[in-house]
Amino acid sequence: MRETWVVGAASNRYGKMTETAREAATRVALEAIRDAGLEPKQIGHTFVANCFGLAEHQAHVGPLINNGLGIPEVPSVTLESACSSSSAALHEAFVHVAGGFADAALVVGAERLGHLDTLAATSYFAIAADYAFETKNGATFPGLYATLASAYRDVYKTTPEMLGSIAIKNHANAARNPHAHFQKEISMETYLASPLIASPLRLYDCCPFSDGAAALVVAAKEAMPRPTNEPLVVRASARAGAVTDMQDRPDLLGLPSTRAAAAAAFRQARMTPKEIDFLEVHDCFTIAEVLALEDLGFFPKGTAAKESADGVTARDGRLPVNPSGGLKAKGHPVSATGAGQVVEVFEQVNGRAPGREVPRSGTALTHNVGATGGSCSVHIFSRR
Amino acid sequence: MTATWGLACSRCGRAGLEERALSDRGRVVAFTVLNVPGEEFLNEAPYAYVVVELEGGGRVTGWMPTVRSEADLSIGEAVRFVPGYKPGVQFVKREASETT
Repeated sequence: MRETWVVGAASNRYGKMTETAREAATRVALEAIRDAGLEPKQIGHTFVANCFGLAEHQAHVGPLINNGLGIPEVPSVTLESACSSSSAALHEAFVHVAGGFADAALVVGAERLGHLDTLAATSYFAIAADYAFETKNGATFPGLYATLASAYRDVYKTTPEMLGSIAIKNHANAARNPHAHFQKEISMETYLASPLIASPLRLYDCCPFSDGAAALVVAAKEAMPRPTNEPLVVRASARAGAVTDMQDRPDLLGLPSTRAAAAAAFRQARMTPKEIDFLEVHDCFTIAEVLALEDLGFFPKGTAAKESADGVTARDGRLPVNPSGGLKAKGHPVSATGAGQVVEVFEQVNGRAPGREVPRSGTALTHNVGATGGSCSVHIFSRR
Repeated sequence: MTATWGLACSRCGRAGLEERALSDRGRVVAFTVLNVPGEEFLNEAPYAYVVVELEGGGRVTGWMPTVRSEADLSIGEAVRFVPGYKPGVQFVKREASETT
């Protein structure tokens, strides 16, 4: 395998897009390619994520993006892995570049659901669950994570204030991120006063429906003699799957796909959690950040909520988690999310995160989950 | 009414599964009360989405129209399957006299 880098990154501001996902994707893709000091014709393969493209009556969007970049002859493919679609695209780009099938590859994820009402958007999200056995019984996406939260609380006695501390921390980080959907801090009073969406999860436990687009350029070290940015060395690119349905899971206290992907990633990187400086994890709900930190191996089971309440995961804490604001407050444009997490790592490493820098950025881990854990991607990066 | 679908076991990978009748009684192992419903449950909120461990083995998910808030149900509570008016698996709380 060839040493493989992320050499360029770009994102728009998450929130509500007036342009289509295809337009936004093309725009951030060109920005990322130029950020890398490359031209579109140097891209060997385009990997696209646009899970809910059908909400815009558009499939097969890769050729349209490449055409907009002036490279219609370049092959493209769209990958669907629910909320982990663009980290799945990153994994495929890594495999192509590390394996020698392309010297440079484009990863671009975009989503637009903001033109739909809440009910329609909720229904699109629920499509990624098991329709026959979860959705049919009244489950929604918040409802499924709420079910996990109820099982977790029953065993580990989490308090609303513990989950609230995660929402408050991520909002504080997003307030310093120009890409973020919610650029405002919230208080514990605001959190506790917010309505229950699916008990025990309140409105401020939930990520928003965001539109957004993010792009990365992945290239072989040997093809980049003079990189324009400080590249991210891809130390590990791992994915795993697991049982999706609540009734078939061995337990309801975590996500087995996170545990499996993390184990594979740390093995690939020959590293341990202690060597990671900061994280971007999949916090579609506050409880998801708790489960992620435990399943990734950073905290023993049952302790991450309390550690978060104690400030350990704050931007200036011992282990900064989601300095971008996370899905919770930076936003969750489904197919842009995984690539967007890596944009945050790239900006931290390249000194492009003024006001929200983490103390150490020598190594980082990104964690991106598909729906309620049917899929999971874990990537580990380091400086050269 | 079926509880899951597959051609092989998700734990051990063994094929050749057979259909088994499940008990209509069980206990709640996890639940949420939804105030914001899914599209097909628009007129039902609030209601509970439940994971139930059945007597004699097997887990199923389902929903409970009569549970309107968290205070109405507890983990460990006894429930019984009832034929419902929607395609989902519907449960009701068991009365004390029914509880074995």
